[in-house]
Amino acid sequence: MISFLRLFIAFSLRHAARHRGRTIAVVCGIALGAAVFTSVRLAVHASIASFTRSMDFFAGNADRVLVQPGGVLPEETLARFYTHPAVRDYTVLSTTYARKADAAAPPFLLIGIDPLLDRTFREWRLRGREAEAVEGWLDLLREPYTVLLSLPLARELGLAPGARLALEHTRRTADFRVAGLLEPSGLALVEGGRVGIVDIATFQELTGLYGKIDRIDLKFRRGVSAAEIEELARSLPQDLALHPPSAARESGVTMIRAYQLNLSVLSFASLFVGMFLVYSLVALNVAARRKELAILRALGAAPRTLFALFLSEGVLLGTLGWLAAIPLGAVLVRHLLEAVSRTISTLFVRVRVEDLELSAAEIAVSFAVTVVTSLLAAWQPAGEAMRVPPREAMDMVAPEERRRRSARFAALLALGCLAACGALLPLPPAGGVPLAGYLAVLLLFLGFALLSPFLLEHLASGLDGLLARLAGPPARLAGRAVRQGAVRTAVSVGALITAVALFTALVIMVHSFRRTVETWVRQTVSGELFVTAKLGQVNRFRFPIPEDIVEGLRRLDAAFDLVESRRWFLERGHFPYEFEAMGMETFFRHGDFLWLQGDPAAIRPRAARGEGVLVSEVFAARTGLRPGDRFEARIEGSLVDLPILGVVRDYRTDGGIVFYSHAHFRERFHDPRWSGVRFFFREPPADPEAELSRLRRAILERWGDRLDLVGGRELREAVLRIFDETFAVTTVLLLIALAVAALGIATTLTVLVLERSRQLNTILAVGGSPRQIRSMIFWEAAFLVVTGEGAGLACGVLLSGMLIEVINRQSFGWTFLYTVDWPSLGLSLPLIFGAALGAALPAVRAAFRQPPAALLRQR
Amino acid sequence: MRIRGKTRKGGRSLGRRIRIGLAGGVGALLLFSAAAAADPARQGFLAVTGPCGFEFPRDHAPHPGFRTEWWYYTGNLKTEAGRRFGYQLTFFRYQLTPFGGSAAWPEPPSAWRTRQIYSAHAALSDLSARRHLQAERLGRNALGIAGWLQYGQDITLYHRGWSIVIFPDRHTLAAADEEFAFALELKPLKLPVFHGREGYSLKGSTPERASCYYSFSRLETKGTVSLGGKHLAVRGQSWMDHEYASAPLEAGTVGWDWFSLQLSDHSEIMLYLLRREDGGLSPASSGSYIDSQGMKRHLESGYFTVEALDSWKSPRTGALYPASWRIRIPLLGVDLVVKSNLADQEMRTASTTGVVYWEGSVSARGTKGDAPVEGAGYVELTGYAGGMPVLK
Repeated sequence: MISFLRLFIAFSLRHAARHRGRTIAVVCGIALGAAVFTSVRLAVHASIASFTRSMDFFAGNADRVLVQPGGVLPEETLARFYTHPAVRDYTVLSTTYARKADAAAPPFLLIGIDPLLDRTFREWRLRGREAEAVEGWLDLLREPYTVLLSLPLARELGLAPGARLALEHTRRTADFRVAGLLEPSGLALVEGGRVGIVDIATFQELTGLYGKIDRIDLKFRRGVSAAEIEELARSLPQDLALHPPSAARESGVTMIRAYQLNLSVLSFASLFVGMFLVYSLVALNVAARRKELAILRALGAAPRTLFALFLSEGVLLGTLGWLAAIPLGAVLVRHLLEAVSRTISTLFVRVRVEDLELSAAEIAVSFAVTVVTSLLAAWQPAGEAMRVPPREAMDMVAPEERRRRSARFAALLALGCLAACGALLPLPPAGGVPLAGYLAVLLLFLGFALLSPFLLEHLASGLDGLLARLAGPPARLAGRAVRQGAVRTAVSVGALITAVALFTALVIMVHSFRRTVETWVRQTVSGELFVTAKLGQVNRFRFPIPEDIVEGLRRLDAAFDLVESRRWFLERGHFPYEFEAMGMETFFRHGDFLWLQGDPAAIRPRAARGEGVLVSEVFAARTGLRPGDRFEARIEGSLVDLPILGVVRDYRTDGGIVFYSHAHFRERFHDPRWSGVRFFFREPPADPEAELSRLRRAILERWGDRLDLVGGRELREAVLRIFDETFAVTTVLLLIALAVAALGIATTLTVLVLERSRQLNTILAVGGSPRQIRSMIFWEAAFLVVTGEGAGLACGVLLSGMLIEVINRQSFGWTFLYTVDWPSLGLSLPLIFGAALGAALPAVRAAFRQPPAALLRQR
Repeated sequence: MRIRGKTRKGGRSLGRRIRIGLAGGVGALLLFSAAAAADPARQGFLAVTGPCGFEFPRDHAPHPGFRTEWWYYTGNLKTEAGRRFGYQLTFFRYQLTPFGGSAAWPEPPSAWRTRQIYSAHAALSDLSARRHLQAERLGRNALGIAGWLQYGQDITLYHRGWSIVIFPDRHTLAAADEEFAFALELKPLKLPVFHGREGYSLKGSTPERASCYYSFSRLETKGTVSLGGKHLAVRGQSWMDHEYASAPLEAGTVGWDWFSLQLSDHSEIMLYLLRREDGGLSPASSGSYIDSQGMKRHLESGYFTVEALDSWKSPRTGALYPASWRIRIPLLGVDLVVKSNLADQEMRTASTTGVVYWEGSVSARGTKGDAPVEGAGYVELTGYAGGMPVLK
């Protein structure tokens, strides 16, 4: 071991130190990749940790939680457990979002509990001396409209115990007294510590949810059998569900996991590109030091020692890269954290990340992935080193024929990879994760990378004559150099292919997605003004618009058509979705869905007549239901059983949506309430802005304190802004992958030039001008970049299709209309070309660092 | 009167225990708080200032308007085979705010809104197996969680499956927890005894520092004790107290020792000693002697002495309790040595009243006049682990 270490230091480390420029370049490339990978994982992990912590504090130490999926429980249900032999303790819990009136502060979570029943379930404690603390929480019971605030929230709102707080909720604004502050533990840490606790009586009086509770938590008697629990579950009304307390957490985490995996794969791309760098450097070291290797072998070094030497180089590069990634990651993760948690909150579940939590497991994973990636990258060249025969110590020429075989062999392998990629695509996802899809993407990259020597050789020989005529001897010489070095340069070209492919694919995907969302927003999110109950959105429309306001809104203005909607958040198995009953007939007069399955002309009138429901693409993908199947759900005690008429695109959330006619829902299920309403101009007015502000004023004057208003244009802009913010993370990842690829080109060319510096200086010595040599290197770079970019573009187009049709469909359930963003590609591909050529400059400079005479003398 | 073996406060252990609870012990306020020292009338609660004019069954029921109230049953039971048990079942009522208080209720109020909280403690001293089992409940008087009902002459107090039903001729008790349960029927052998002056039991130096207090001093008891899946038929005798007040205790009172003894000559003795910070007893300490015919005699504090003979230190809370006593009532010729039947009968009510007190079965032996006498009973010791019950 010690002798190996000494050999490693003498043979590898000294060499690396001597060529520190290229070593640093490779380490930088890995560092970039590792920093991105680590910070993305940490950011998502922090969001998941914050979410699960919240859910765990909520769950307390309950054994089971009773809920009515999509609805609320009648509080009388509690009485079932007073004397139930299996139940030891029970308690109730309801939550909603409320906000300080007239404040810019965002809403916070208000938790309604029974402080007496809750004592054995959840931890929450008041600050201050014991007697004060007891007084504080007894005040919740004694005095209506008292609240306990978490410390950070009290600070944010500038409130101390005893202060008054006007709290705004859907139904009303109420004047609260702050009865005490909560210690930062248990329930007070939910939602990043932005919580208030009220007595369940106050909760009902504020929200108007009289007689209703969100959930009942149960603790069972010790030693209760599974059969008894089963029996208890069976004895409950059909529309109630008895879950383990972790169910909500698990379904939330499952949703985030898919997102985490997608981001991880994307961020791994930078690391993957970095892998090419390691490969190229180790391969170069092997190639450039064949002589030394042969001598080592001749002196008795075992092949596996040489193998281990180069593997260790890979590991060292990986480790150094990972270490260098730490400061970079520390900066990056702060930016990613906000973006990631915002995306998770928008798409999946509400999270509020208070602070970054460094997960030892995530750090270990990032270290392992970085080092293993580098090790794998070094594997093939290390194997090459192992096979160097001792007799090569005496040879003067490199084995050219082998290279040709290698190029052909690589091309064959490439075809194999591409074929396997094609075969994997139709496979279904594993546990909601498109594993086969990801493997196919990896094979696609590998296939194209392996194809690059073949492409380089053929491009170089194919263009030989043409270039000679156009650009003279330097271009011809460059072509030959590229042909000869095809296998080695292939690695850098492979890196460029990967980066360009990713870039192209993501540009196409994001563009297609955005265009589809734009169309969806224009057609489906149409309307001039959107009105919902106050805090309707954040409270998931649990609190409908009061009926007196509904009546008022109906009679408000004859110039507008109203499309009302009533929304419920439901679950089918563990899949959350939304049911929206909407004024379908009026909606079709002013807007439309983006139809995916079914004949719109035939379905529209049927949907308006309430003959069935329309389901979103995500809903169809996740449930497997198709037009003609029946949709069944229990909504607030009513059993809804309707045929599915068609499938439409919808991008509101990651969950699915089911649409139905509100008029017919009201008739069948007797729910006349509205969650929201949108206003459309009946006829296009002469001055739409004036008309709209007149409507706004009229609503605000009458019900401004009880309704939230947002203009149609603002809403549509907000949707697109959220979309852009979501994909900002993707763009950052993309640019970093490109930067790593450019580093790869710079390293490869420098290496190629340094390797051939004798040859180049000989040309110089025999009369070639420096300009001609620079031109030659330029042409070499051009060959590499054209091949990399051309193949990358082709690979990217294929990849974009896979991302949209396989990865997205399997991960999120949605697809989009395929549109290529030619302007962006047209602008950026030449830029990449320029940047990659720019990366050749250090190589050109390196060529003449030593005087030719000195170089020629060396041998 | 002498008290020996005064114990340290044990405040540290109470503090630690309370921190284990969620937000500090509610009982520290509900039942055991010096907050009660304020004038109840000024706080809007009803005050006890004179004879209580008990009428039954009306006064078996709760007395809303008074801040605190409890129904308290203890007894010593035995199986056919001679296995001995002590038991306790207590229901507490605590009123959060006086009627017509400043905090008006929203209109309409939630069904959860109430002014009354109920807690309940149940304990079983398995004297033969030398173990003490306990359970507790805490809930509000809403949605049928806890409260009371009256059907005709019958008064029912309930708290999630636990109940006390007071019929005109008998009382039934039921309590069940994971480890034990009991269901008992109690028949009064004597009429209720009104302590103090017609139930007006003074607990301090001013007239409003008092409670309304009556007892059934001897109830013949039979029923079932369930333990470890076995149901054991038991018989024995019980004691019942019902007491309510708004502000009975004075500042400087650190706790009390309460005795209920049923003697073999069919007489009973009840004593309560209000202990002061300075180690002495409050002059309001007093008691009742009930003769075999049910006639009561009030015992002023000067009529009796109680001497602690021995002590027991709780390994759980560190509190040091007296464990045996010598009680002398010269006027009646009573000289008794009272011993606990089981050292550890400490009640640790983390999730309800949040206080620690000792409530346990005792035996007595000695003389009354010239005749030897034996007895059984219950003793309650508060304020040894920091907390301090308002009543008793």
